[in-house]
Amino acid sequence: MKYLILLLLILSSNISEAQSPNKILLINGFLHKGNGETIKGALVGIENGKIELIKNTLAYSYQASDWDTIIDLQGQHIYPGFIAPNSTLGITEIDAVRATRDYREVGIFNPHVRSQIAFNVESKVISTVRTNGVLISQATPRGGIISGSSSVMKLDGWNWEDATIAANDGIHLNWPESIMNHRWSSEPIKASEKYTEKKAEIYSFFEMSKSYSKMSKNDKIDNRMEAMKGVFNGEKRVYIHANELQQLMDIIDFAKHFNLNFPVIVGGYDSHLITRQLVDAKIPVMLVRPHSLPVNEEDDVNHCYKLPFLLQSGGVQFCIQNQGDMEAMNARNIPFLAGTAKSYGLTEEEAISSVSLSSAQIMGIGKNYGSIEKGKSATLFVSKGNALDMRTNQVILGIIDGQFMTIENTQEKLYKKYAKKYEKQKKD
Amino acid sequence: MNRIFLFSFLLSATAVFAQTTPVNGLKTSIPEHYALQNATIVVSPGNILHNATIIIQKDKIEAVGKNIKIPKNTVIIDCEGKTILPAFIELNSNVGLPEVKRKSRSSRPQYETSKPGAYYWNESIHPEISASELYSENIKQNKELMKMGFGFAMTHQQDGIARGKGALVSLMKKNNGLMQSELTSFFSLKKGTSNQSYPSSQMGSIALLRQTFHDANWLKDNSETRNISLENLNTQRTGNIIFHTDDKYEIVRASKIAKEFDLSFNYIGSGNEYQIVDELSAINSTVILPLNFPKAYDVSNPYISRQIPLSDLKDWEMAPMNPVILKQHDINICLSSMNVKNAKEFWSNLRSAIQHGLSMDDALNALTLEPAKLIGVDKTMGSLEKGKFASFIVYNKNPFLESAKILETWMLGNQDVQGVEANSEIAGEYNLIIEEKKLPISIAGNSDKYTGKITFTSLKEGVKKDSTVNLKVINHLNDITLQFNIDDADWKGSITLRGKTNTKFGVFEGGGFLSNGKWVKWTAIKTDKANQENDDPVQYEVDTINHAWFPNIAYGFDSLPEAQNIVIRNATAWTNEEIGILENATLVVENGKLTYVGTGKFKTPADALLIDAKGKHITCGIIDEHSHIAISKGVNEGGQAISAEVSIEHVIDPDDIDIYRQLAGGVTTSQLLHGSANPIGGQSALIKLKWGHSADEMLVDDAAKFIKFALGENVKQSNWGSQNSIRFPQTRMGVEQLYFDGFQRARDYMKEWSAYKKNSNLNKPRVDLELQVLSEILQSNRFVTCHSYVQSEINMLMHVADTMGFTINTFTHILEGYKLADKMVEHGAGGSTFSDWWAYKYEVNDAIPYNAALMANQGVTVAINSDDAEMGRRLNQEAAKGVKYGGMSEIEAWKMVTLNPAKLLHMEERIGSLKAGKDADIVIWSDNPLSINAQVESTFIEGKLLYNVENDVLLKERNNQEKARIISKMLADKTPLNEKRTFIKTKKGHFHCNTIGEESSTEQNHH
Repeated sequence: MKYLILLLLILSSNISEAQSPNKILLINGFLHKGNGETIKGALVGIENGKIELIKNTLAYSYQASDWDTIIDLQGQHIYPGFIAPNSTLGITEIDAVRATRDYREVGIFNPHVRSQIAFNVESKVISTVRTNGVLISQATPRGGIISGSSSVMKLDGWNWEDATIAANDGIHLNWPESIMNHRWSSEPIKASEKYTEKKAEIYSFFEMSKSYSKMSKNDKIDNRMEAMKGVFNGEKRVYIHANELQQLMDIIDFAKHFNLNFPVIVGGYDSHLITRQLVDAKIPVMLVRPHSLPVNEEDDVNHCYKLPFLLQSGGVQFCIQNQGDMEAMNARNIPFLAGTAKSYGLTEEEAISSVSLSSAQIMGIGKNYGSIEKGKSATLFVSKGNALDMRTNQVILGIIDGQFMTIENTQEKLYKKYAKKYEKQKKD
Repeated sequence: MNRIFLFSFLLSATAVFAQTTPVNGLKTSIPEHYALQNATIVVSPGNILHNATIIIQKDKIEAVGKNIKIPKNTVIIDCEGKTILPAFIELNSNVGLPEVKRKSRSSRPQYETSKPGAYYWNESIHPEISASELYSENIKQNKELMKMGFGFAMTHQQDGIARGKGALVSLMKKNNGLMQSELTSFFSLKKGTSNQSYPSSQMGSIALLRQTFHDANWLKDNSETRNISLENLNTQRTGNIIFHTDDKYEIVRASKIAKEFDLSFNYIGSGNEYQIVDELSAINSTVILPLNFPKAYDVSNPYISRQIPLSDLKDWEMAPMNPVILKQHDINICLSSMNVKNAKEFWSNLRSAIQHGLSMDDALNALTLEPAKLIGVDKTMGSLEKGKFASFIVYNKNPFLESAKILETWMLGNQDVQGVEANSEIAGEYNLIIEEKKLPISIAGNSDKYTGKITFTSLKEGVKKDSTVNLKVINHLNDITLQFNIDDADWKGSITLRGKTNTKFGVFEGGGFLSNGKWVKWTAIKTDKANQENDDPVQYEVDTINHAWFPNIAYGFDSLPEAQNIVIRNATAWTNEEIGILENATLVVENGKLTYVGTGKFKTPADALLIDAKGKHITCGIIDEHSHIAISKGVNEGGQAISAEVSIEHVIDPDDIDIYRQLAGGVTTSQLLHGSANPIGGQSALIKLKWGHSADEMLVDDAAKFIKFALGENVKQSNWGSQNSIRFPQTRMGVEQLYFDGFQRARDYMKEWSAYKKNSNLNKPRVDLELQVLSEILQSNRFVTCHSYVQSEINMLMHVADTMGFTINTFTHILEGYKLADKMVEHGAGGSTFSDWWAYKYEVNDAIPYNAALMANQGVTVAINSDDAEMGRRLNQEAAKGVKYGGMSEIEAWKMVTLNPAKLLHMEERIGSLKAGKDADIVIWSDNPLSINAQVESTFIEGKLLYNVENDVLLKERNNQEKARIISKMLADKTPLNEKRTFIKTKKGHFHCNTIGEESSTEQNHH
């Protein structure tokens, strides 16, 4: 054994800037695996970035000399790294400053546009997100009908290549509004006619790309079509953004029509009304931000708080995402979105899963990420208390792919700087 | 005596007003008198004469009644079976006026007036516009109005805030048609086509109109100054003022202006006044109601119909009751054709209002005498009494009861035959007799189109058989043509008969050709009586199921909750007082106040509601220091850099569903702030979230007065695009100077007034609403809440305030407050901040979530606010972040959304803690309120239970049932599908600090 690190030490040192040790053992933690299981007094062993050992501390005696680093968690909570699916985190920095916005490209069908290469690993916002336990995000473009391709990223890395977990994991399709009229159009559109028209556009684009993907050799390379190939050979997911019942029903038809391998609904405000159909069609849902107001005047005031529970009860696979106002900086509140869902019906472990394993599975990275299980990537964090509660979410340790992450963020630095100023004033 | 038929001629008479116009050609001779006899004459509401006569001389009614003597030289017109109603008076019209076009505008904002001349500085104030000068008869429009029964219209230019003078015109012109001008003027709260930036909100319109009246007052005392607009306004103050409104609450808002300036307004309503009858009764004005009711939605698709807001459905059901509900509350009403598509719709809506309970007399009154009284012409118009203008309409039936035809229009004694009656209906069973052969015929349909059948005995292969074939019936006036094919023993082929009808006796007679070419005479005699006219008035069933909720939307109360005496026992009470958190505490509420909080002995008040709160946490209500919910038509008056004259108090929208949603999150008090579009914004409103109550009831009566200031990117328009770069200031440097200038002007203003108060021989200074408010700040009678981000600007404003001798009460947002908390303490400023927001704009780059804790540690009074309707309902969670970021104690964290904002609002004597003597604004939580598990179970304000988690379930069920009931009623509605409304959903927008204009925003916001 090289080091026995006490917590105090971790808090004050900047481990990640040095090389992380290869073999890490966490002992006496309260383990939330992310798959619904918990172990009190758990022992988690990490080697070469993978989780190699999960045991109960009391029932297992380890050889201290086998480990580079042993950390005694003294009963604190271990969680799988939480996930921020469908997010502009890393591809925007300051919402109002156009120069920092890299998520909306010109064009209607943009499957070829890739968020991965715009991902800023040094984003200051990211530094404040991972310190609340969110360690993975799905960098997602916006706009148009097909916004582009998202990629699943680690929230710590030297460059975007280094940070990539899954490149171009799926395309994002914004399903047209079936009856919405926007304020800025002066004439009310007979929306249903427009809707049919727009749906037809999507169908025709997909038919086109499907036939392109079937051709063995294309004389002329079409980058749009190339980017769509993955949709039909099962490599890419199709994230379909929609909320309203008519849309959701139509999406089920659409997924069937094109025999999509991995359709995912993003939003799903009305999805609780068709849980059976979603289960039958095997379509998971990335749910609308729980901290959202109801859309319709008579909707349940707490509708969005309750949606996770409603889908859980209906047997639909779902996870929580955070699209909306100030979503990049708000990604750090994802643990509390899960907490609210817990308060409104989910069990604690279901709530944890809804921002970890379930999200990973829906994005297709569930084999390696999303839960603390043997053989999976060591991407986890430790919180002094319950990470889903604002008062007790205190992340003291984070590991991404076996590497300790920087635990101090830019905001904390400013905090300390000014706290010192006032301390000094007091003394003077 | 000349007996003439109605349809026999069209009169061409010389105009009665034409004495001054030279005649081209020979003078036309007209009869001296007309008499319409045997008519049902509706003289005035409630006064109906049957078989009566009306005598007209020139343009006036000479006599009306039964058995009256007909003078010599009278043209007599028989009106048997016909109904005569006085011509209606339309008070809200723009008939005959040119369309008001918006001037071309540049892409840059326009801050000054573009209208040359000695007019008011703002282009939406143009009382000088006179409809009589612009009026030019538009025959098509007039005809449509006359088809609705109108004879007169008050036309005016429907544009702007002070719109100008209306002109009463007769719709049938024999001269210029002008009956009255200059006496009636029109106002609204709508800016209209003016391109000037100011006002950009409803509160701005209100402030502008108030300032205009002040300026007009001032002008009276300063005769050396001339201003055409204000001079016009001064003459209009004593005339009839009609105020146009677009919503029920605009009536309430306008009525306050009337009261302030001792004016008397009557209102053009919008159709939803039934929702505020109590407030309307108190206002005691006449309301001109639209006879335009919402059409049924197409609800055939349940996917779509489920999304139609319940408030829309309820309004659809109740809007036709608007007139009767107002009448039941003794509110004077007029009815108007505004926004009604055509005459058919007008009559059908009028009958619908009657079906929904409005009496015929009230309906007639609202179309005739009431409007006449309102504009002071009831001596000459509005009924058919002797001496009044002979303007009336002859109908074939009573149009209030059933579909009727207009036969003649008489306007100022001039007759115009509109339609001729087909001598009433001819439908029925007859025997057609030709050459002694009797053939039964039956005629169906109405005067628009008749169809018929004829039966004869055919002989086929020796067998006699009755055959019935089609009979073509063409009826025009009293001419009839019958055509049919026959094949009987005598005749084969087509027979065409022509003749006259006499419906009175049920006889037709005439001649025609048989199929063999022989000319014959024929008669037809009616055999049935079934289709004879039914004299019984049509009876309608009055629909009484529905009533308005408080407010009339989902989750509205059926009846308003009463304040209760309450005893809560076994509670964990977060007192916010020195005693801290009390276990097993008892709280007693009497008459809306807490009378006991403690663990000892207490007295149970009479009829107390007993609540066992074992396991529950009790707190005072949450106070949101910074909110933009419940505001109508604009949160920013961004049209000027200083808009201290506007007030959110003037534009509270008590129907906002977000009020209910905040209650569900334990919020009981919200400070509604003006936005941050300008350095000096508008006055704030402090409301208790009394769901279902009126705006006035929500306003906290003894609240300290506040105003919103703002600094930084929003006020220098940094994120508004490159076109918005000409308003001063565009930099933080300019912001400082703007403040200095504003407060220096306010000082001068105070000096001027105090000099005048000492020496009344001086000219009375002009009342300046903007400077008045700035003076209040200088005198510390009004406190400042300032939107702020970076330390440089915060520091600057404290310096400005120190120099000018006042204190900035609260910095809101204050995201860099942690950098200069020491200076804030020294100045005496508090901070109301976000728990963890940042990265939304450049100036929040250095924002940190530890801000609240750092400021609090230095002794700043710190609140956590929402500035967001969604976050507002979970401020408990936001407060809890104080524990996470900076390690506050739970009690101190909790105070950030309760006691601390109360202190910042100078309201800590009334709210912000659980203490005997304070308002009983109480929340019962399922758990520690800072816990993620906490849910609100009940919210009381002043002892009234306004939210309860179990009631919420019941309300939802009731909403669903009500929705289902109305949708099934809509499904049964007989409106043809192509006339039904297609539901178009609009996202509910929200106001944010930086929302510009009257529409709320669904965009992402930058606060």
